[in-house]
Amino acid sequence: MSKNNSMSKALVRRETIAGYAFMLPSLIFFLGFVIYPMVQCVFTSFFDATMNREDIFIGLANYKELFQDKVFLGALKNTVIIVVVSVPVTCIFSLWVSSVIYDLAGPACSAFRCIFYLPVVTGSVAVAVVWKWMFNNYYGIFNYIGTNTGLIEKNINWLGDEKFALGCIILILLTTSVGQPIVLYVSALNNVDQSLVEAAEVDGATKFQCFWKIKWSQIMPTTLYILVITTINSFQCFALIQLLTSGGPNHSTDTIMYYIYYNAFKLYRYGYGNAMGVVLAIIIALLSAVQFKMAESK
Amino acid sequence: MKKRKLMALALSCVMVCSMTACGGKDTGSDQSASTSTPAPAPAEKEEAPAEKASTTENTDSQTPTGSTQAADITLWTYPIGSWGDSATVDGLIANFNAVYPDIKVTVEYLDYTNGDDQINTAIEGKQAPDLVMEGPERLVANWGAKGLMVDLGDLWTDDAKSLIYDSVQNACKSNDGVFYEYPLCMTAHTMAINRDIFEAADALQYLDEETGTWTTENFQKAVQAVYDYGQTNVGAVYCSGQGGDQGTRALINNLYGGTFTNPEHTEYTANSAENIKALELLKSMDGINFDASIAGGDEINMFCNGTFAMAFCWNVSQEKNNLENISFDALPMAFPSEDGIPQLCGGIWGFGIFDNGDPAKIEAAKTFIDFMANDEKQVVESVKASNYWPVKDLGNIYDGDALMTEYSKFVEYMGDYYQVVGGWAEARTAWWNMLQQVGSGTDVATAVEEFVTTANTAAAQ
Repeated sequence: MSKNNSMSKALVRRETIAGYAFMLPSLIFFLGFVIYPMVQCVFTSFFDATMNREDIFIGLANYKELFQDKVFLGALKNTVIIVVVSVPVTCIFSLWVSSVIYDLAGPACSAFRCIFYLPVVTGSVAVAVVWKWMFNNYYGIFNYIGTNTGLIEKNINWLGDEKFALGCIILILLTTSVGQPIVLYVSALNNVDQSLVEAAEVDGATKFQCFWKIKWSQIMPTTLYILVITTINSFQCFALIQLLTSGGPNHSTDTIMYYIYYNAFKLYRYGYGNAMGVVLAIIIALLSAVQFKMAESK
Repeated sequence: MKKRKLMALALSCVMVCSMTACGGKDTGSDQSASTSTPAPAPAEKEEAPAEKASTTENTDSQTPTGSTQAADITLWTYPIGSWGDSATVDGLIANFNAVYPDIKVTVEYLDYTNGDDQINTAIEGKQAPDLVMEGPERLVANWGAKGLMVDLGDLWTDDAKSLIYDSVQNACKSNDGVFYEYPLCMTAHTMAINRDIFEAADALQYLDEETGTWTTENFQKAVQAVYDYGQTNVGAVYCSGQGGDQGTRALINNLYGGTFTNPEHTEYTANSAENIKALELLKSMDGINFDASIAGGDEINMFCNGTFAMAFCWNVSQEKNNLENISFDALPMAFPSEDGIPQLCGGIWGFGIFDNGDPAKIEAAKTFIDFMANDEKQVVESVKASNYWPVKDLGNIYDGDALMTEYSKFVEYMGDYYQVVGGWAEARTAWWNMLQQVGSGTDVATAVEEFVTTANTAAAQ
């Protein structure tokens, strides 16, 4: 008995060692490229750090400055607007598309999935160039259609007018954000237990009741994942801003990520940029926690 | 079981190997960069001294200064004319290696969108290039001021100082007199008009085609004539980013004789009455849009495709690069000024050396600069590769080239090179933000005051 027990322990130990050995390469990457930068980011945020000069410890001064910096507060507001608009719209739109296409015949469903996923795999530079052309003030397709159909009286400077610029960014962000949720929802909807749906239908449940009472609860883990991922992606909106508006006009499309880039890479204010990064991480962590809690309570 | 173990071992090997492939710098990564000139074969190396002597004789080269100790150096270059083209740069480096076969030069080509980020990342990673080719605003006012560059005082001999134009010399040294750049070429940025439209609108009468100049009053009349002719988009004060901002600065400064900084380059002066008047004039003109959706590059494209009748972001390189895209006669013009004598914004490009702590590489980099910028025969080729003009009198190096001759008339109008003022990076951003404010209706005086406050605060840090 004791011999068997010691053999079993040896086996467990060997398997554990093998498991850790397999994890080791990823762990090294994780520690080196995620944990270490995170610690470094928090550490540097307490310093006045710039290029080719010894860092100067300034305590919480960077954080204090952040909340007196009008551009940062504006960027925070814009980021929140992007998240508040983009996350629900992305989730609702992708859920609607998925529920329409998930039970289509194989090739049709695949075709739709490809179409919606295409902007995700297309490089952000290519996406930005195409949208920039469509939004062009002088010969863009939106102005062309708008003026020819009488929807607008004269050309609108979509990306050059602070009334429209942020909306345009959100629209582009939506097209690049819905692909992954659609694929995930299609997969989740296909995994819903059909026997429950059929039983409910036999009992006289309407389509909406079937969806709300049966499918919705079964795809909740997917919804939670999509909410968290979309929230994080929306908070990290950067490439579109850099490529299309540089935060303008009049800071109307500044986001926290872009402002971090501007401070760190253009002004070499590494400490200040890191302080913004910490604040952004805290906000994302808090929101994700709230989303997890809400999903758990459901 | 054995099979499983073998499989596990193989998988582990694959993972470790892939980690190694992603890992640190090795000789392989050097090879992946654009190596312009391969290291000479052993036979070539053996023949080097004789070959060097013979080439030096044939090219009437000056005696090279500094050591010719073997070294591998890296040159990162922004797209300054054909210095951004690997075929051209390969040829230039081949000339260099014919004289200095033991110095291997590896070239990395940057662009103006990401180039600064690439260099800054390299600096932070202690991987800065040995040599970099750009202008004083980066080499002197930015990296030089941060103590990252080598003092090039020994290249600035009395001979060099007597040959290189004073305005260029002043731009290549810091406020405390340290030379961080050795210049190669320069140009004066201009604007351009669509001559066909101007002719059709009978607006050519308002400009002097021969000298390429016009007065502010005539500029107003010309723009109005073109607008009345039906070209509603005559020009744009582009301001979506810093690309091509020298055009908007030169336009605004020239209209009523305003300045961007004081003569000592210590303070921003864009809030002067002259600049305010210029901005108010532009804002009031039919056909001139303050456009926050385009930057200089977009404006050039829209001028070339006929959307605009004039471009404020122009120079000879733009015309050369867009020859195939332009279906009309593009006429280069100086920026309008009250007296018709403009002060054009200049571009000066040359070499700087990052202090990477290796004296052999620094010496090799200086040898490279000396060859490219001072060798009597090579300097002409080096300058011609930039599509611009030399920073010293080399005679008419573009004899017979009609386009270069046409643009050379603007070099004499080159004004103060103020881009070496402190806080330049922040001021550039504040500039286009200020233009956006003016475009969206903010009071001009308020907007320029905010710009100057931001810029001067940055300059004082």
